[in-house]
Amino acid sequence: MISRRLEEWITERYDTEALRRVLRAKKVPSHPLEASYFTGGLTLFLFIFQFITGMALSLYYVPHSEYAYKSISDIMTKLNMGWFFRSLHHWGAQLAIASLFIHFFTNMLLKSYRKPRELVWVTGFIMIAVLYFFGLSGYFLIWDQRAFTAIRVATGGAGSLPFIGGAIKVFLRGGIDVTQETLTRFYAFHVSILPMISLLIVGLHVLLVQVHGMSVPLSLKDREGKPQPFFPNVFYKDLIIWLSATGILVTLAVIVPVELGVKADPMAPAPENIKPEWYFLFLFQTLKFFPGQIGLFNGETIAITIISLAILFAIFIPFLDRRSSAGKPSPAYTYIGVFYLLYFVVMTIIGFFY
Amino acid sequence: MKLDHSLLTRRTFLNTLFGGWLIAVLSGSVYAFLKFIFPTVGKEPDFVVLNKADFFDIPANTVKIFPWGGKPGFFLKKDDGTQIALKGVCTHMECNISYVPGVKKFYCACHKGWFDDNGRNIEGPPPKPLEMFDIVVAGQKLVIAKKGVQVDLPKA
Repeated sequence: MISRRLEEWITERYDTEALRRVLRAKKVPSHPLEASYFTGGLTLFLFIFQFITGMALSLYYVPHSEYAYKSISDIMTKLNMGWFFRSLHHWGAQLAIASLFIHFFTNMLLKSYRKPRELVWVTGFIMIAVLYFFGLSGYFLIWDQRAFTAIRVATGGAGSLPFIGGAIKVFLRGGIDVTQETLTRFYAFHVSILPMISLLIVGLHVLLVQVHGMSVPLSLKDREGKPQPFFPNVFYKDLIIWLSATGILVTLAVIVPVELGVKADPMAPAPENIKPEWYFLFLFQTLKFFPGQIGLFNGETIAITIISLAILFAIFIPFLDRRSSAGKPSPAYTYIGVFYLLYFVVMTIIGFFY
Repeated sequence: MKLDHSLLTRRTFLNTLFGGWLIAVLSGSVYAFLKFIFPTVGKEPDFVVLNKADFFDIPANTVKIFPWGGKPGFFLKKDDGTQIALKGVCTHMECNISYVPGVKKFYCACHKGWFDDNGRNIEGPPPKPLEMFDIVVAGQKLVIAKKGVQVDLPKA
C-alpha cells in the first residue's frame, strides 16, 4: 500500500517510464569471451566497498605522527570489530587493484580501446594511477617503520624523474623530508582529494561505457550470439560475482588479518628485507636491475624515465594502434599487450620471491 | 569623429574584453593556488651542536646516532680511535642505513647497498659515497657541520 502510493508520488512528478525504457533497452553482446565484461563491474564494486570501509575507519583514525600509529592499534584492539574493518579495508584494496589489473590487461588484449572508445581507455588508465596513489597514501597512514621507509623511497624515486622530479618530491612530501607534513598531505590525498577525483573519473568512465555500449572483440564479430538484456540477466550474474567477491574478501580478512609493524622512527635503520606492496614490486624489481650509475647518468633516473615512457606509451595505445581502429587485425599490438602482461607478472613474481 | 568602418566589430571587442578578464583572473588564481599548495621548503641544518662527552666516550667500533634535521647522523669511533661523522642516509633511495661492527661497514637494507667505514660505496646500487661531515670541537661542545660550512658559535 505504502509502496504503491510512493510509486504514484514519484511517477506524478518524474517521467520514470523513460528511465525504465532505457534500462529495458540496455543490451549486452554475447560471445565466447563475454566473461571479460564482468571485470569492470567487479572493480567498481570493490571500489565502492573501499569507500564504505574507509569512511568507517576515518571515524577513528588520527592523522598525526604522534597518534596515528596508536589510533590504528586502538582500532584493532579496543573497538568493536575494529580489526575486522581494518582488515577488510586492507584486503579490499588488494583485491580492487588485482581486479583492476585483470580488467586492464583483458581489455588491452581484446583491444576494447579501439575507436571509438579511446577515452574509455584513457579514463581507465587515469584510474590506475589514482588507485596506485590511493594505495601508497593509505599505506603511509599506518605510520609504521615499513610504511615510513617505503614512502621515503617512493617519494625519493619520484624525485629522480628528470626536470620535474624535484618539484613533485617536494609537493608530495610537503617539505624536504618525510615528516608530519607528509602525513597531513597523504591523509588529505587519501580521504578527500583522491576520492573526489575517483568519483569524477569513474563516473565519466562508466558514462562513456553506457554511451558506446560494450565492445565486441574483432575476432569474435562473426561468432556473436543474441544480445542479452542487462536487466535482469547480466545484472544477476554481476550480483553473483559481487557476492562471491564479498565472500572471498571476508574470508581473507578473517583468516589472514592484516598486521601492524613497529611505530615509525625517522632515526631507525630501514628494516631488513623490506619490500613494497605487491603492485609496486614490478617497479621495485626493475629498479634493482639497474646499476646506480650508467656512464655519466644516474641509473635510477634512467630506469624511472624508461618506466615513465612505457606507461605513457600505454596511455596512447588507442591512438597509435591504427589497424584495430580500422577494424583490421593488429598482431603487433597483441604482442605489445602480451609483453606488458608478461613483464608485469614475471617481475612481480621475481620481486616476490627473490 | 565618426568612422565609416570600425576596425573591430562589437562582438570582437566584447570577446577580447571578457576573454582578457578571464585569462587575467584565471592566471592570477592559478598562480596563487600553486604558490599555496607547494610548500615553503625548509633546508637541512648547516651544523648541529652536541655535547662532546656523549660522543667521545663511546666504545671503539661503535656508532652513536644524532638527529640531523629529520634524518639520522652517524658518529663513528673507529678501532684506532679516529672519529668520523656522516649522514646515515643511503645515497641510492634515501633509506636509513645501519653500521655493522662485525665487518666494519655501513649497510642499507632496502636494496642491499654497502659502504666502507669511510663512507665509500663499495657494493650494491648506491651511486655515491655517503655524505661526510666535519667534526669541530669547541670546549665541551661538539659541532658537526656540513663540509665547507664556516661555523661561528656564539661565545657563551
